[in-house]
Amino acid sequence: MTAPPYDPAADGGLQEQFVEQWRDSAYGCFSSGHKFCREVCPVMQVTRNENHTPTAFHANIVAMEQGNLTVADVADDYVHCTQCGACELRCPNTLFTGDFYRNRTQTVKVVKAMRALAIQSGIEQPNWKRWVEATIDAKSEPVLDVPVSQENVARWSEGLGLPIGGETILFVDCEAAFYRTSVSRSTAQLLQMAGVEFGLMREQWCCGGPAAEMGYTDAARQLADHNVADWRSYGAKRIITLDPHDYISFTEDYVEYFGPDYEFEIVHITELVAELIRDGALTLTQPIERVVTYHDPCRLNKRKGIHASPREILRAIPGLEFRDVDHVTQWSYCSGGGGGLPIEKPEITAEISRRRLARAKELEVDTLVSACVWSERPLAAAGDEQGIDVRDLMELVAESAGLDPRGVHGAAGPQQEVPA
Amino acid sequence: MNTFVAIGDTVVDELRAILGDEGVLIGKAARYNRTRVPAPFPVHRWAEYVPDLVVLPRTAEQVSEVVKLANRERIPVVPRAGGTGLNDGALPLKRGIVVDIKRMNQIKEVDLVDRTVTVGPGINMLKLNEELRKHNVMFPDDPASYPCSLVGGRIGTSGWSLIGGRYGHTRDLVISFQIVLPTGEIIEVGDGGGRKIRKSSSGFQLKHLFMGHQGTLGIVTEATLELVPRPEMEFAAFFHYPSYTAAWESTGALAKSGLASLGGVVLFDEYKLRYLRRDDEAYIPRPDHVRAVVATALYGTRDEVEPAARRIMRIGRESGGTYLGDEISSGDWASRHDRYATPLHGRLDTGEVVPMSWHCEDASINYSQLPAVMEKWHAITARYAEKTGILDDWGMFAYTNGAYKPWGDYLTEIDIGIWEQKLSDDNWPDWVACKREIAQVALDHGGSITACHGATREGDAELIPVEMGGGFDVMLKIKAALDPNNIMNPGKYELDRAYGLDEKVFR
Repeated sequence: MTAPPYDPAADGGLQEQFVEQWRDSAYGCFSSGHKFCREVCPVMQVTRNENHTPTAFHANIVAMEQGNLTVADVADDYVHCTQCGACELRCPNTLFTGDFYRNRTQTVKVVKAMRALAIQSGIEQPNWKRWVEATIDAKSEPVLDVPVSQENVARWSEGLGLPIGGETILFVDCEAAFYRTSVSRSTAQLLQMAGVEFGLMREQWCCGGPAAEMGYTDAARQLADHNVADWRSYGAKRIITLDPHDYISFTEDYVEYFGPDYEFEIVHITELVAELIRDGALTLTQPIERVVTYHDPCRLNKRKGIHASPREILRAIPGLEFRDVDHVTQWSYCSGGGGGLPIEKPEITAEISRRRLARAKELEVDTLVSACVWSERPLAAAGDEQGIDVRDLMELVAESAGLDPRGVHGAAGPQQEVPA
Repeated sequence: MNTFVAIGDTVVDELRAILGDEGVLIGKAARYNRTRVPAPFPVHRWAEYVPDLVVLPRTAEQVSEVVKLANRERIPVVPRAGGTGLNDGALPLKRGIVVDIKRMNQIKEVDLVDRTVTVGPGINMLKLNEELRKHNVMFPDDPASYPCSLVGGRIGTSGWSLIGGRYGHTRDLVISFQIVLPTGEIIEVGDGGGRKIRKSSSGFQLKHLFMGHQGTLGIVTEATLELVPRPEMEFAAFFHYPSYTAAWESTGALAKSGLASLGGVVLFDEYKLRYLRRDDEAYIPRPDHVRAVVATALYGTRDEVEPAARRIMRIGRESGGTYLGDEISSGDWASRHDRYATPLHGRLDTGEVVPMSWHCEDASINYSQLPAVMEKWHAITARYAEKTGILDDWGMFAYTNGAYKPWGDYLTEIDIGIWEQKLSDDNWPDWVACKREIAQVALDHGGSITACHGATREGDAELIPVEMGGGFDVMLKIKAALDPNNIMNPGKYELDRAYGLDEKVFR
């Protein structure tokens, strides 16, 4: 229950350095104390345990500075976070001092840093440990019950005739490459249809984002080094991501790793497809007779401010009745699928998704559309319970463009329905 | 002196039997994070106020069993709702068991016929109103902490609402509630009986006894609340003035307009304007002749608000105000919960920016006394800011304080930034003395030392007997009768005197 007092000699001063780095920003929260973050936090809405609040995540650092807590006392609490970023947005310090002081409350970074400190201090979460070990082993995340493998990382694209390399690369996230291949096939065929020239990587490894989110910084860096070397080997300039988590990795983590030499333009697929529709390169003609609402993926909406382009795309699909919930209301929504939560605390993820679907049900829709493949697994499970179909935005766009992308939506394994 | 026993393993086992394993938290992080609230806190003495354990009940019966056990074993019990209080009612001064009621956040019944909603005390008002919106009704308790405070804490502190001039304050909006007494009995209190009855002459008015008890008389486990129609229209108007005096005179004229849709009137003093102008995002225009601001807001049906808005605009202008414009008025009113106190605006005398905690010292002051109190409070703050080097005057607000009749007295507050990292045994007594002098001014001017925060701790608490007079002896008798073993939130409000104890806290 209680860890022994902190001894800097025992960990080479790791915790001391951590506190030194994060103390002042922790005081920004501690001394504000408003706790406006609490009720928007998707985890806190489920657990109702103050240990899991962003406020506690900052206060713990002050308590560590005072010699009251050690990383061993708090490590488990920091597992309870999807890194959705709602708390940062809802913080009055961010809302009203952001421009002038260049201030944004940095809870996500604090959570990642505390998780890394825990690992460096020998405190590991068993399922995360297994997950990252398997990722390093297979170079992709173990998203399936059957083994994923490097030989199969591009099998989702069989029959599409996609080249390798080039100036523009489509990076297909692990979940979309193996588990929900209908998303990757839809995306690739839409780009082909619109005349976008792009290729696949010679050897695509996991982006490393999940490992970084869990605190395995070395593993994350190893994966990132490979991917950037792959891109550079054929002179890639632009990377298209279909997964918001990859988008965060490539626009935030990689920028930190590679500094000013990091030369790639990173594009998220919803921004690109909205533009292609706007420019007439993609024409959506097939009516989709569905009543839908849109789930703002946290990493697009809360972390990156991307909420207009998915809505623009949905409004361009004929036949669709779109019942929208504004993106600010959705600050407090989440699927629970991020930050490693479903790997360590699947019951919390399931409940977060269940509540998200219940909100969709109140709108009397038949479909919940997301633009994050990682959200779609827990959301779809909850959707099955509540009789609401969960689809990816690209799947609907492909259908409306008259494409038949095939692939699977997750259930039966990776390749069965892909044409030979 | 500590008259309480340490908690042994057998008690922990009993608690687990009552609450389940996941309802009893004994880890250090759980306990440290339930030790403080936003009120300034001697961070260097954090370890002295950590509870022995935390329980997370889901039902009134569980709360009752916990309290009975604590009463039997003489263990202090401190209820905790949102932990957002500004007078640390939820701080466990004598350790013991913190009863964290956040899991009791269910909406149990929405009654659209008799216009009530019955909830657990762990629900937040914003979240509640998100659910009520679909019925076109709302629970209009709207404090600055609207996005985070919980109904249980609103009852515990007898809260004040920004729009109380139209809709009433917490005591007016909570029709009845269920409370677990310090000996474990579960009772219902209202004006009289009848869970949904707003007005009664039966018996004593027990709702009011337990309203604002700061956790010293029990733990609220359910509340039946008022539902009002969602307003068709909201209209906010902000005016500026060349001086505090001009703004104060206009405040009086606006507040006694007699408009039933008037939610409230807010007076910003000159210090507050200077504080808000410390960054580029402040909305107050720069010309020096803008020295004070008055805000008003109207709520109701379109048929009420449209003509009332014309009247308010006329009164504002005729009483010397200049309208600040639609964008500032509606935008600033919309951000009223977030705007006014941010640690990043903290400044030392040298101009250096340091992370300061917001402390808000409140009082109820009659309209006639506002200018005098304002001058004295700023003088006190300036004296202690100079002496300690860790305080910063962030200015004052005066808000109309009456329910339904927004005139006569004002929730008056001075916001003070405190550099909490620098609190020490040397300067903590100065801070307490500063608070005490501020509170004494309120009494000297015929006011009450707190309008909505409570006054549980040293710096305020010792003046409660002065303010209450003979009423304080009645408080001691009630406390001793209801809580024979002094287990409910001991050390607060000088109520230890009921047991012959005279221990000061935070000396």
